[in-house]
Amino acid sequence: MDSGATFENQKPPSSFSVMCVAVIGKNVSGELDHDDALKQIIGQNNPLFIRPFSTRHQELKFHYCCHTACDIIEERVAPGSKNMDLYLGLLYCLEDLAVYGFMTNTKIKFVIVISMTDSSIKDIEMKNLFRRIHNQYIALVNNPFYELESLPKITSKRFHTAIDTMVLG
Amino acid sequence: MQGNPNSNNRSTAALPSGQRAKQTGEDIWKSRTDKINAELFTLTYGSLVAQLVKDYEDYIEVNAQLDKMGYNMGCRLIEDFIAKSGMTKCGSFVETADVISKIGFKMYLGITPTITNVSPDGKEFSLVFEENPLAEFVELPDEAVRELWYSNVLCGVLRGALEMVLLQVECQFVSDVLRGDESTEMKVKLVKVLDEEVPAADE
Repeated sequence: MDSGATFENQKPPSSFSVMCVAVIGKNVSGELDHDDALKQIIGQNNPLFIRPFSTRHQELKFHYCCHTACDIIEERVAPGSKNMDLYLGLLYCLEDLAVYGFMTNTKIKFVIVISMTDSSIKDIEMKNLFRRIHNQYIALVNNPFYELESLPKITSKRFHTAIDTMVLG
Repeated sequence: MQGNPNSNNRSTAALPSGQRAKQTGEDIWKSRTDKINAELFTLTYGSLVAQLVKDYEDYIEVNAQLDKMGYNMGCRLIEDFIAKSGMTKCGSFVETADVISKIGFKMYLGITPTITNVSPDGKEFSLVFEENPLAEFVELPDEAVRELWYSNVLCGVLRGALEMVLLQVECQFVSDVLRGDESTEMKVKLVKVLDEEVPAADE
């Protein structure tokens, strides 16, 4: 089995502190031409998981951050652009917060909000963090009882614990 | 008997000791079985269980269905097992346990559950699974935690396979890490040894 999908004993990032981790659903609408199930691929950029780690800011602020992040992400991956990378880098800055994004092939978006520090953030560290979140998301989706389309929120305890461990150590 | 454990000598005259059983199991796993991608296998079984849950909506019934399916599999699997492993009769039920764990499970799932809690009369034992390839990534929904035995198909497989070699057993899970227990344990109990029955004469 891919050991990346299990808990990794890595320390939380040391050069910056993560304020919030969010997973946002896809933004697609369309109907499948099936006769059996009335299936619609629905997604309205709904927040599947928003986990703030900061006491200084209200949770609502992070909801707003993610909302804005969605717009920026859509701009970045507009059909005309040549960007093929999953990692989207720094999306934008808001007061003292920096927002980074990552979009999977299935249009699920991960957003990390960090408090800006003076030291520069290495790309490789952010990519590392996103990769770990991605692995946890894969483990979540592999659970046969997790319903992809209908659940409004991610309630899996394992996912929550894993994200907490990743950030807080 | 100084047989080379790596030889393909299928006519095992002597019954294997624990070490030889382990060796046989590993040999067969390494060389004589086709492999399949683990995620594909896990997802297949997972979608099977999830669909059963949706169809029956009653976890006890799902357990029963998994057991039935396992029973059908076990009845057929035993032929393949005997052909590949060349096993002959076991001397005791405890030896059967050893063969099940070190050769049977090793051949088909690549795992060797530990044998524990052997009863004094040798008619019961428990298999403790440290890892369970069927249940990777699985998290049971809250309603299922108290009632569903996710890997119940394994109980059916053992029951079916052993019945074909004339051992009637009862198998059931007593704990499961998916339920929050500390370990995954299956209890196997020998009910009776079936004799070959003379078919009833036609009247």
